[in-house]
Amino acid sequence: MRFDYTLILSRAPDILAALGVTVYVWLVSLAGAAALGFAVALGRRYGPRWLNGLLVAYVELFRGTPFLVQLFLLYFGGPYVGLSLDAEPAGVLALSVYGGAYFSEVFRLGFEAVPRGHIEAAQCAGFSRTQIVRRILVPEMAVLTLPAAINLAVSLLKDTAVLSVVTVPELTLTVSTIGTEFYAFVEALFLLALGYWGLVEIAAALGRFAEGRLARFRFA
Amino acid sequence: MTPYLFLLLVKAALYTVAISAAAIVIGVSLGLGVAAARASPNPLLNWPARAYVSFFRGVPLLVQLLLIYNLLPVVGLNVPSVVAAVAGLALCTSAYQAENLRGGFASVPKGLLESADMLGLTPWQQLTRIRAPIAFRLTLPAVVNEAILILKASSLVSVVGVVELTRMAQDLDTSLFKPIQLYSAAGLLYFLINRGVAGFGRFAEQRLAWGAR
Amino acid sequence: MTSAISVKHLSKSFGSTEVLHKIDLEIPEGAATCVIGPSGSGKSTFLRCLAFLEEADSGVIEVNGDSLGFTEDASGRRKRVPAAQIRKVRAAIGMVFQQFNLWPHMTALGNVSEALKLVRRLPRAEAEDRAMAQLQRIGLAAFAGRYPSQLSGGQQQRVAIARALALEPKIMLFDEATASLDPELTGEVLGVMRGLAEDGMTMVIVTHEIGFAATIGRQVVFLDHGRVLMSGGPQEVFGKPRHPRIEQFLDTYLDRGAAMLM
Repeated sequence: MRFDYTLILSRAPDILAALGVTVYVWLVSLAGAAALGFAVALGRRYGPRWLNGLLVAYVELFRGTPFLVQLFLLYFGGPYVGLSLDAEPAGVLALSVYGGAYFSEVFRLGFEAVPRGHIEAAQCAGFSRTQIVRRILVPEMAVLTLPAAINLAVSLLKDTAVLSVVTVPELTLTVSTIGTEFYAFVEALFLLALGYWGLVEIAAALGRFAEGRLARFRFA
Repeated sequence: MTPYLFLLLVKAALYTVAISAAAIVIGVSLGLGVAAARASPNPLLNWPARAYVSFFRGVPLLVQLLLIYNLLPVVGLNVPSVVAAVAGLALCTSAYQAENLRGGFASVPKGLLESADMLGLTPWQQLTRIRAPIAFRLTLPAVVNEAILILKASSLVSVVGVVELTRMAQDLDTSLFKPIQLYSAAGLLYFLINRGVAGFGRFAEQRLAWGAR
Repeated sequence: MTSAISVKHLSKSFGSTEVLHKIDLEIPEGAATCVIGPSGSGKSTFLRCLAFLEEADSGVIEVNGDSLGFTEDASGRRKRVPAAQIRKVRAAIGMVFQQFNLWPHMTALGNVSEALKLVRRLPRAEAEDRAMAQLQRIGLAAFAGRYPSQLSGGQQQRVAIARALALEPKIMLFDEATASLDPELTGEVLGVMRGLAEDGMTMVIVTHEIGFAATIGRQVVFLDHGRVLMSGGPQEVFGKPRHPRIEQFLDTYLDRGAAMLM
């Protein structure tokens, strides 16, 4: 490898900015996906029947097709129906909708995993439906689904790399561009891979920490 | 969306299936090896295996594909892009399959092996006649799941110049300017293929149910 | 009365907990020995040591004169015997587990014939004939083609017994063979075990079924906290228990409305 790693330092600000974009896009999409998934899971559990069909279709379609195709559909096809978005907002939206389908399944299964007995006990004690959902169902579901949700969050982090294809200035695009500039594409990709590996391990460690803190609420 | 266009997409979809199938087969085989190394008490086998799994699960697939695609020519292997693509997909999935297989083997109830011990079966006989078939059955849902994930992930090889379904849609779009139709059709094809694989998975599970409903 | 199994100073600890404490015991040939005692007394561990599924920390086990697992010389040093010897000694022992442990991916016939094919290296046809004969003996010939998931617990356990018997062992070990069964199903399994005892099989039976132990056992061994508190004929152990723990144990048992003994 004839790559002069000190050259990298000269571009450090760009790389840091790109890291910022990656993390920003990840966190915003994560929030969007979690919120959307939560709403869909609630809708499937408590919503009217006609809504159920629509929501199931959403989940099946967005989990059953590649993210890249969804992204292209939104970014290239959007303008034809009046939805003209820049790369970054389009990326965040697409990732949120994609992630939302997966989160909805995680949350839906989480809701079903809350033992019926706990809900029945609350009903017998006179809790209203809203109170049950807010005070029993959701907290218990959160504890049960935490590992799966963390896994999903980490995969969303990796999926941000796909946004480079539509020129969002995140890590993959920026580092590969720098690599081409210095005629050291492969070395740059190696560093990029290591960078993601590190990011993912950090995110996973944070997740394990969070699981540990919530462990005292576990009952299963 | 003329029938001709759709047929082009279907042809590309078949190519997608072929690429994915190759990646799955290679990936499972590699995964078996990695799982075996991972299960070994010898740290010389165990630690590299753990690093392997951690790396291929920690790096985005797109970056892995770009890396393999650009690395191979540098080390003298001038292979067609589809070979690099399949290699990239296979390496990535092998890490996930290794974990699935590890879980499957660990889930074989110990008692079944103890009774085999008492009846005099050698460790090799236990591995081939008891542990492997049962572990396979236990891992089957995860393997089918992973197959579906590969089919979707294969869309990324469009970025390294392989003309599979996604790339075909892209190429057609650049000359026809019908992104909604093209990408929706492509999406639909992916969806149908995935359904097919899931159905096949359920069928296989039924066949291997050994009498249970 | 010759001893089929001879146990001397057998001790075993799991970590810092001593589970078996210097057990000396002779298992007579051609008869059933029942090992009873409260939960946690080490009964199962003891049986598993006889099967070499657990390795004792000290002491020797001799099966028909051959050392199982370890030999001890005069000064008490232990030496591990070669694996081939362990297999040879094990070949004379058959074991039935509480969880049946039938292989789920093989039919009843498959389960019973598998070891005949792989270990005794019999051709398929002969192995299956012998397996069928075993299934017939326990009355399950009609179920030969069924998978374990299609059999009741009692049927599965009987197939497990047939599987062990197919290799013509000299000694049969039963580890709480009926503990996982619904009460209505224990009878069919105990019936098979009784038949074996009446045919003169050397058996070591760890069980909670006190009534069964009283009527089938030539020797009853009461184990408590890893020690043999008493061993003798059923009339002795049940009729004239020489230890307060045994009386306590039997009292609880009788309190729960179990059948009168002797």
